[in-house]
Amino acid sequence: MMLIAGTLPLKGLPLTIGAASAEGDYLVVNHQRIPCTQGTAAMITAALTTTEYLKIEAPQALVVGDTGQGKGSREMYEYLIQNVAKLSPEVLALHYCLPDMALTRRLCEAVKSCSKRPLMIADAASMYAAKAAGLATSFDIFTPDATEMAFLADPDATHPAYIARHLFDTDVTQTPKLVAAAYAKKNAAKLLLVKGATDYVVRNGEILATISEPDVPTLEPIGGTGDTITGMLSAFVYAGLEPHEATIVAARANRMAGKLANATPATKVRQIISQFPAVFQQYLCQWSEVCYKP
Amino acid sequence: MSLFKKKPSFEGGGLVLFMDVHDAMAAEKVLKESEYTVKLVAPPPELRKGCDLALEINLVEQPGIERLLQEKEAGYVSVLPMKPGTSGLLEIVKVTDFGDWTMVKAANMKLSFDKKSGIIVNTSGGGCPDIPYLHAEMIGKKLDKAPRPRDLGFTLCALMLDRALEESLALWQGGKKI
Repeated sequence: MMLIAGTLPLKGLPLTIGAASAEGDYLVVNHQRIPCTQGTAAMITAALTTTEYLKIEAPQALVVGDTGQGKGSREMYEYLIQNVAKLSPEVLALHYCLPDMALTRRLCEAVKSCSKRPLMIADAASMYAAKAAGLATSFDIFTPDATEMAFLADPDATHPAYIARHLFDTDVTQTPKLVAAAYAKKNAAKLLLVKGATDYVVRNGEILATISEPDVPTLEPIGGTGDTITGMLSAFVYAGLEPHEATIVAARANRMAGKLANATPATKVRQIISQFPAVFQQYLCQWSEVCYKP
Repeated sequence: MSLFKKKPSFEGGGLVLFMDVHDAMAAEKVLKESEYTVKLVAPPPELRKGCDLALEINLVEQPGIERLLQEKEAGYVSVLPMKPGTSGLLEIVKVTDFGDWTMVKAANMKLSFDKKSGIIVNTSGGGCPDIPYLHAEMIGKKLDKAPRPRDLGFTLCALMLDRALEESLALWQGGKKI
């Protein structure tokens, strides 16, 4: 099972778990219809689009309404802490939530009771909490953007709003230095996908690959285009690709989808996701050397 | 007796400092009534500014907590990260020109608007639960009519999005005058 957990900006949405499915422009989890917008919804939709193409089991989604006050986030963490051993997912991807260091610590402890340790992915505030709590090395994959990379490199910051100014001022050519600083302080997951004008795939401090083509700078302003990468790579890892291969394919596919969508800063993330099947059909075999026949 | 030190059940990373103990107790009551997780602690000497009692908070919730304390007229001196080496809140922004659109980035948050109309076309970045909510509330609205993240949001991500909105508004209004 691949389990994706995160909050949704829907007031009153109770804690809900179930297999994700699509209904028109909506994501459906246990009869709850969810609009595909920035955040966890974009991530799950990207993962679902990928699993549908690969004809593998759809992601299980654990979602809850939270518009910032944290109650839903805490319910989500508590549910995971109590049930992760029973669920024993092969891939556990944590996403939007109110970052909570103590609950993240308890969750990492609870994961040790799984029959087989899940591959642990964290993005968004789940990544913030893991780093702030000193638990980054308990995770297999982080997917920071440039500012979040600076946050991982700053040993004192508990949120990107508090990073040192000189780290915020760095450009993409400085990414290797930030990566080295983060690994030196054990503030990075085993594998990093650093998203930017050039994407860096880094394993245990070693830069394995960079991706800069196609160059689609208009993806950056579009809310949810980082979430889609994390969703895709979660699905590719679940499908059996090596984590670094999954991140490379996901980064390339996202860029190509942006190009096919003729992305502008006003494009919506669902327009990017809608291009994924065409991208997979044209490039997946070539990029992954694993060829699926849809 | 266990040889291992038990990890605390609450790790907030932020401190609210007060001038006197009475203010600290009153603030604790206000915040707990609104379901914030907080803990009365002694501030480290290097951070102490008033009395020797402070409230540990989840630093990410700083904007929502400060707004609530101000609404309830609960006195406090300041809110600080607990780690003494931490930098101050990022004040600078970065601006990117996309032709018909401008993107303003404040820390991890980005806001993009149409240069002519001032309509917000996208927000991106962040990871806190109020960000997708603000994304839905702000897109399609003019910069000067959009709700302020500092009023609707609760987290540091929302505070940074507010910075981006403030700068976008200044750029757009400045541009209109030309």
